[in-house]
Amino acid sequence: MSKKQPKGEYIETDTGNKVSRRSQIIGTTNIILGGKTVIQAEVIIRGDLLRTYPASNPSEKQGNTVAVAIGRYCFFSRGCELRPPGKLYKGQFSHYPLKIADHVFVGPSSIIEAALIGSHVNIGSNVVVGKFAIIKDYVRILDGSVVPPNMVIPSFSVVAGRPARVVGEIAEGEVDGMDLREVYRAVGNG
Amino acid sequence: MSSKRASTMPAPLKPPTSLASSLIIAEHASLTGTHLITLGSNTVVHPRARFNSTHAPITVGSNCIICERSSIGFQSEAAANERQGILIENGVVIEVGAVVEARTVGEGTIIEVQAKIGKGAVLGKHCKIGPLCEITEGEVVPDFTVVYGPGMRRLDRSGVEDLKMKMVARQIEVLKKLIPSNLAKFQ
Repeated sequence: MSKKQPKGEYIETDTGNKVSRRSQIIGTTNIILGGKTVIQAEVIIRGDLLRTYPASNPSEKQGNTVAVAIGRYCFFSRGCELRPPGKLYKGQFSHYPLKIADHVFVGPSSIIEAALIGSHVNIGSNVVVGKFAIIKDYVRILDGSVVPPNMVIPSFSVVAGRPARVVGEIAEGEVDGMDLREVYRAVGNG
Repeated sequence: MSSKRASTMPAPLKPPTSLASSLIIAEHASLTGTHLITLGSNTVVHPRARFNSTHAPITVGSNCIICERSSIGFQSEAAANERQGILIENGVVIEVGAVVEARTVGEGTIIEVQAKIGKGAVLGKHCKIGPLCEITEGEVVPDFTVVYGPGMRRLDRSGVEDLKMKMVARQIEVLKKLIPSNLAKFQ
């Protein structure tokens, strides 16, 4: 953590993650960052909400639990929150891991309680993604949407509304604009 | 990281509190104000939840869950009929970022993500206020009301409220194991 610039806004990790000093990350040991991910100020990531229900697959190691898994080139704007969803299953309450793939943008003040978010997903500002929602690749969620719990959003959809519905499709030309490598490079301690 | 930041924060005025011994309150929760804050048994307060008793006392029952960034307490001077403060009954769930300025929140009510409850409103028992929904100032919401979407309402008479209360209790059991409590800090 002790890099050359002592008083910058962002701490840059070995894998190139840029994490704001003012982010509020809880349970850091249970969070995986794939690298080159930007976490802005006042972002809350709840790594402490671990899975307590034993995994059905015995090959999964106990004690090696992950609450939030994030891929590469993701961007979490100011004030958003990532929170593993929880539900009652076979009479026991448990949280389940929140998985986010690559090139996912989350706008300011959005609350994410999804189970799975695919690659190249763009989530606007003030969006609420309900518990156990599954968002596939190349999806755009417009500002102020409320994605209901358990919703599955197919690839290449544009989603909006309260509750959110599919309102359109991503055009072929738009796909290039959803790459976040440039956005990552623009963030720095300047 | 978080430990560094804590030192830079000025210690806010500690309000008088009455906390049950089985309360789970995270270290980064904040209790501020001058009036009494009462938190009941088996209630869980997530980190970064905010209670502000500057204008009136706050009473929270047992088996409640108060999530992060939610704000409970009047944000302006209390009117004559609001002096007795905010009463949150048993088994209430207040989710992320909700703002509660209600006079009363009835038993088993769920206030979802970023909902706003206007000042002096009265929520009945077993209501559900959906994400981003708003209840206006002084409004009285009857029991079993579900508020959803852009201000739409219906009554939920499915009769599963006992099950819902049990589910909240199960959730609290799990959260008790996950959230380290720091009761001493707020006493």
